[in-house]
Amino acid sequence: MANKIFDRDTLLDLTVNMVPLFIMAFFIVAFAVVTPFGVDPLASSLQFGLVAVPFVLLAILTYFAGRAVAGSEMTGELYLPGQAGVEGAKPLGEDGELMNQFDEDEEPEAAVEGEADTDDAASEDEA
Amino acid sequence: MEVNGQLALTVLMGILLVAVAAWIARVENWRSYSPIAGGGGYGQQDSYVSEEKPSGIIRWLTTVDHKDIGILYGAYGLTAFTVGGLMVVLMRVELFDPGMSLISNTFYNSLLTSHGITMLFLFGTPILAAFSNYLVPLLIGADDMAFPRINAIAFWLLPPAALLIWAGFFPLPDVLPAQTAWTMYTPLSAGVGAGNQANAGVDLMLLGLHLSGVSATMGAINFIATIFTERGDEVSWANLDIFSWTILTQSGLILFAFPLLGSALVMLLFDRNFGTTFFSGEGGAILWQHLFWFFGHPEVYILVLPPMGIVSYVIPRFSGRRLFGFKFVVYSTLAIGVLSFGVWAHHMFATGIDPRLRASFMAVSLAIAIPSAVKTFNWITTMWNGRIRLTTPMLFSVGFVANFIIGGVTGVFLASIPVDLVLHDTYYVVGHFHYVIMGAIGFAVFSGLYYWFPLYTDRMYQKTLAKAHFWLTMVGTNLTFFAMILLGYGGMPRRYATYLPQFATMHQLATVGALLLLAGQVIFVWNFVQSWLEGPKVEDGDPWNLRESGLYTAEWDWYDKKQQTAIADGGEESDETALTDGGQPEGDADDRDDA
Repeated sequence: MANKIFDRDTLLDLTVNMVPLFIMAFFIVAFAVVTPFGVDPLASSLQFGLVAVPFVLLAILTYFAGRAVAGSEMTGELYLPGQAGVEGAKPLGEDGELMNQFDEDEEPEAAVEGEADTDDAASEDEA
Repeated sequence: MEVNGQLALTVLMGILLVAVAAWIARVENWRSYSPIAGGGGYGQQDSYVSEEKPSGIIRWLTTVDHKDIGILYGAYGLTAFTVGGLMVVLMRVELFDPGMSLISNTFYNSLLTSHGITMLFLFGTPILAAFSNYLVPLLIGADDMAFPRINAIAFWLLPPAALLIWAGFFPLPDVLPAQTAWTMYTPLSAGVGAGNQANAGVDLMLLGLHLSGVSATMGAINFIATIFTERGDEVSWANLDIFSWTILTQSGLILFAFPLLGSALVMLLFDRNFGTTFFSGEGGAILWQHLFWFFGHPEVYILVLPPMGIVSYVIPRFSGRRLFGFKFVVYSTLAIGVLSFGVWAHHMFATGIDPRLRASFMAVSLAIAIPSAVKTFNWITTMWNGRIRLTTPMLFSVGFVANFIIGGVTGVFLASIPVDLVLHDTYYVVGHFHYVIMGAIGFAVFSGLYYWFPLYTDRMYQKTLAKAHFWLTMVGTNLTFFAMILLGYGGMPRRYATYLPQFATMHQLATVGALLLLAGQVIFVWNFVQSWLEGPKVEDGDPWNLRESGLYTAEWDWYDKKQQTAIADGGEESDETALTDGGQPEGDADDRDDA
């Protein structure tokens, strides 16, 4: 997976779907090893198919979703979600995930507001 | 000669109807009716709201504008919510005492069936379509939906669907309400046996349900086409907002789930009316359950994903920071979409299906808990150390998270086969899914209704009443549904109109909770209607002061432009300035710089 799209950050984002994939893989192995109800050609193939099909479909969807999102990150400008259509919105930097480090000392209303956690916490609280 | 007589009568009747229509058209100017005050916002009282949009009732009957259709969906959904809610109040009052005989057992069964179907199909799906219709085109920079007319048709299929579903309650001879529960399990729903479920009321209910499915499918196709093809140039997949992501996933689920429900319903109708035996032969009952739950479980996620999108959208706005792990939420939404089709038989663990198959469904059911848990942690982390503003939309979103944790954790237990075998068909299950449907989905709907209230009404709601609504709903929800979870642990079975005396205390608590919910919703309706008609005008395109935290989004930008370009109508300018409900000084409205 050493291509440009699936870099370290994207793979990190996709770990969220690796967990359910791992759980399903665990059960596929477990069903192969432990068979308290015996093996029957029809029932056992259904048993594996019912876990394997969601596993494969989830893996495919995760791949394509990751490719679409990470790919468009590389080809177009990146905004905070929901802000792309706002007139005058400022795009995030080339690496949106790290932008906070660059922008903390810049104008406070820049599109990276959310990352300034410490500042937020310090300012006045609730309503 | 008889035929000629009938023909003459028909022609005469036709002439009479045309005459009546002409007379009504003469004496009343239908275009001058404005059922929703201020809804147009363009200041014209006569025949047109804008160049291509007539005003008055004609506007609402002919509109293909996604925002108008969104409002129609909203009005429809809230009407259905009222009907379904009043039905269940009647049921809870009946359950206040085991000896109560306010309503008959059969009428209780009818209400139970209709409450479920109404809340899921006539409130849940349409109210989410209200949000998506109004907001998705604005959020993605589209002019309208991809197929505006299909959008209108999809809505207009719903009123007849409701009439068909409720037909049994109307005073029609020989048409009785369905008593099949919303799952419509065969052989009862096939009209077999000595009961009265062979009557036409059940057929009409099935047809209505089918119609609502057609409507949902048309809407889903439209949303998929819109989000894929109508996005603005700068709205790439990476820039798509979380609400649109959840709507896209939901539409995918609808596309694969509802046609199956439609097919199963047609098969059932054929069994009932044309002598087929899809569900009456050996294994027929299990076949129905497989078909129904292959639709039914994705339906749960069809209902919960957009509310998750709303909450993911609202929480950051009032936490003063962006959503933590945005892409985690996106990918986990997609994961839920796929996995939701692999868990259906966890509703059938107690039917005696092969234990190997049960094990597989348990495995996938446990796996699907992960994406939901990931989202929950994301919401909590977004709020952690944030600059929290406890506005009403935020309160409802936080309430969503709290209730969803209880609803979700009780669900994880049910995913385990041995636990399910003990708790199956008890009130525990009822408590579990109501925590999700009312405690989470209902709360997110209210959160969205309050958050975008200024957007679609130009006015602000009354915040004290709104907070009373929240607290009554929060307390009422937990009182009602936690009592149900305890009832389930005690062994109280579902669906009965009466119970053994040892369950009385918990049932009474649940009924008190339901009455609190009723009181809260009465306040909501009052606040909603009065504020829409008379609330203080919002004059700023940023009523939540989102600009100062950099969380301003496209729909408010659209609203701001609309405010600035609105033609002054000279009549309503003098209202007081809107309250922001956020504790922010009003001055914020003016001193913003337009970044």
